[in-house]
Amino acid sequence: MEYTITSIAPIFLFPFTAFVLNAFFGRKLPREGDWLSVGAIFMSFVWACRIFSDFIFGKFSTDYYVHKVFNWIDLSFGEQIFKIDLGIYIDNMTAIMLLMVTGAATLIHLFSTWYMKGDEGGYGRFFIYLSLFTSAMLGLVLADNLLLLFIFWEIMGFCSYSLIGYYNKKERAGYASIKAFMTTRVGDVFLLLGILAIWSVVGNVNYVDIYSAISQGLFEGKVVLGISLATFAAFCVFMGTIGKSAQFPLQVWLPDAMMGPTPCSALIHAATMVAAGVYLSLRMYPLMQLGDITHFIAYIGAITAFGAATIALVQTDLKAVLAFSTISQLGYMVIGIGVGSYNAAFMHLITHAVFKACLFLSAGSVIHAVHTQEMPQMGGLRKKLPITFMCMMLCTLAIAGIPFFSGFVSKDRILGDALYWGLFSGQSKVHFLVPFLGFAGAFLTAFYMFRMMFLTFFGTPRDQHVYDHCHKETFSFNRNLPLIILATFTLGIFFSGSLTGQGIAKVFPKGGQEWFKILVEAPQVKKFESYTKEGFGFSDTRAEKSWEKAHYHHQSGYAGINPENEEGIHHAHVEGAIASIIIAFSGVFLAFLLYIRRTISPDKFVNPLRCWYEALRRKYYFDELYIDIFIKKVLLKFNEFLAFVDMGIYDRFAIDGWEKVNRVLFKASKWFDDVVVDSIAVDGTGTSINIFNLILRIVQSGKIQLYFFILLFVLAGYVWTLDIA
Amino acid sequence: MIPYIAYLGISAFLFIIGLAIMMSRKNIVAILLGIEFILNAAALNFVTYSKYSAHNLDGHIFALFIIVIAAAEAAVGLAIVIRYFQLKETVHIDEASELRN
Repeated sequence: MEYTITSIAPIFLFPFTAFVLNAFFGRKLPREGDWLSVGAIFMSFVWACRIFSDFIFGKFSTDYYVHKVFNWIDLSFGEQIFKIDLGIYIDNMTAIMLLMVTGAATLIHLFSTWYMKGDEGGYGRFFIYLSLFTSAMLGLVLADNLLLLFIFWEIMGFCSYSLIGYYNKKERAGYASIKAFMTTRVGDVFLLLGILAIWSVVGNVNYVDIYSAISQGLFEGKVVLGISLATFAAFCVFMGTIGKSAQFPLQVWLPDAMMGPTPCSALIHAATMVAAGVYLSLRMYPLMQLGDITHFIAYIGAITAFGAATIALVQTDLKAVLAFSTISQLGYMVIGIGVGSYNAAFMHLITHAVFKACLFLSAGSVIHAVHTQEMPQMGGLRKKLPITFMCMMLCTLAIAGIPFFSGFVSKDRILGDALYWGLFSGQSKVHFLVPFLGFAGAFLTAFYMFRMMFLTFFGTPRDQHVYDHCHKETFSFNRNLPLIILATFTLGIFFSGSLTGQGIAKVFPKGGQEWFKILVEAPQVKKFESYTKEGFGFSDTRAEKSWEKAHYHHQSGYAGINPENEEGIHHAHVEGAIASIIIAFSGVFLAFLLYIRRTISPDKFVNPLRCWYEALRRKYYFDELYIDIFIKKVLLKFNEFLAFVDMGIYDRFAIDGWEKVNRVLFKASKWFDDVVVDSIAVDGTGTSINIFNLILRIVQSGKIQLYFFILLFVLAGYVWTLDIA
Repeated sequence: MIPYIAYLGISAFLFIIGLAIMMSRKNIVAILLGIEFILNAAALNFVTYSKYSAHNLDGHIFALFIIVIAAAEAAVGLAIVIRYFQLKETVHIDEASELRN
């Protein structure tokens, strides 16, 4: 496949066209145009498959990338160069992301046709936003620079806002959408600052240009606000990740975002948009390293992973549990970035997208059936919803980190790397805190996910009315097919090429590596020291020139972690794997004891730790902290202070004082106007003209020959003055 | 060689005649004739100085232009006179005093 504009653009344009058509003509189309959205995203999926097969199944080498640009703005004038190029950048990571986004989006679109059916007045609107969102996400993944990424980033934020507030008759949904939008905006402002900081050094925000600038050392010695510019830029870009991926200080919006319809939660707030933040950090990984903020990143991730898991323990709302588990899992990805486990972080992004999308869709299937989200009203639904139960069980096994499932493969690699980073990499032992929090979070994950499963599907029905209301599930293709497909892909073998992820079975011939490990490597800035951009229209010739056939010359496991101490890494990974297996099973066992056998009552934990329980139920009082203290005490006080400055000082003294000055000035200028201007200048001009008039009238006799006479005298006088002699 | 003072004398003579006609006659056509005299006097002056002091063709070219301008001016002037006659049924110059005062 030639990589030209016609072969790449459709992947973005299909859903975008569907959005435009649906937005303008959706109401006139049959079924409000949902088939258009579903068909468009399916076409994108087909395109993504082609790109994926090119990149993954051995046409190009590992570090091959396609980078095509076209000139968007050119304001260069003389010496000054101001050019903005937009373009696309495809490497292995992009190809995998494209397949994940389009695949998950296709299935979620399909599911939405079942879930949203019969929704009055909003069915078409839902698909409009879904199409716009998908096209923005694909654009973000394809973008070759931070500016284009930022544009799509904001479009996604808008779609998220619209879909959270989709049930516009619910007041809480409206507030939740505003909260989500405003909270992520904090991160977005930082991200924009970071982009500008990078621009000030590189003069461009292409990924490739940034890598090349880093390799040429352009960031060295630049200082802003007393800290190095690289640190500043990396921090600002990471703040974008914190906002979008709901990391520690800005995590408050994601639980509230569950007010939206469940398929949109699955697509936006689980699989793709929140992962975009992690994707950004992965793309900017060399900058994070250069800025030396990886410890900060690791700690943010660890706090998020553990803290969100603890909150999820006590939630009774089915979707709230999933929301907190999403935050927690995103925290694991961020730990992965922080400890240098680049490859595993990206792998967890993909595996998480699959199983979390499936979990949300299953939750949607349950909620649609029982018309409640409260787990205490459910119970025993296993018999009524067998297909949903099976799919959700597979995903729960995956997220809990049970061996042979995808979650185990990726999370275990992150934790193994974190363990190595914390204990064996020769830095201070204090950093053991990060893997410790990670493992503790893994234990809690296994516990609360199985608690959710046990409360929902096992035991006896706790609310007979709800149970009777629930219809027996029969297979319908747009309800169950997405679940089954997604659940299938929670098996670890698709991601590791082996059952356990530790390289027992080998799909690729090269020594016992998972295909993810081989194909996705952190960008090595040295490779980008010199490169040439290609125009958008030209077909790609490098493929034939350099890499005829797959030959994966792999740089000895450059998965991010420093590959020197291979023995130590392996050691840490084995220990980590054993630990996480034990931890996962003990978590499941504890949940089993508490909620199936009921040998231990949950009250035993709750009663002595009442204040902690309350803190968890209130999400560590973060909402109260932000709203009551930060907004009401600080921002409103600041607001009042500004109002005082404006009304009390500025208005009173500056504006009113100016009025007094003006009054005096007015009197002075009125006198000046009356006396000087009117009576002297204006009237005086008239009078003087009158006087001249009297004289000039004599001359203006109307007799032409008199004029000649005057002319002659003037001429004669002129000649007289000439110095002829 | 004819001294240049002769040319200048003729030129001055023509100018004076033209001026006198312009100043004294009340017929507009006659005044136009006077203007022609003055123009020819100027043209003669140009040619004279060109021939005797500048030693180039600039003055001759000027003379040619003056002739052309005179022709154009005569055409325009006579047209005005005809329109004026149609309006006032006279060619007396003092009747054209609408712009007085």
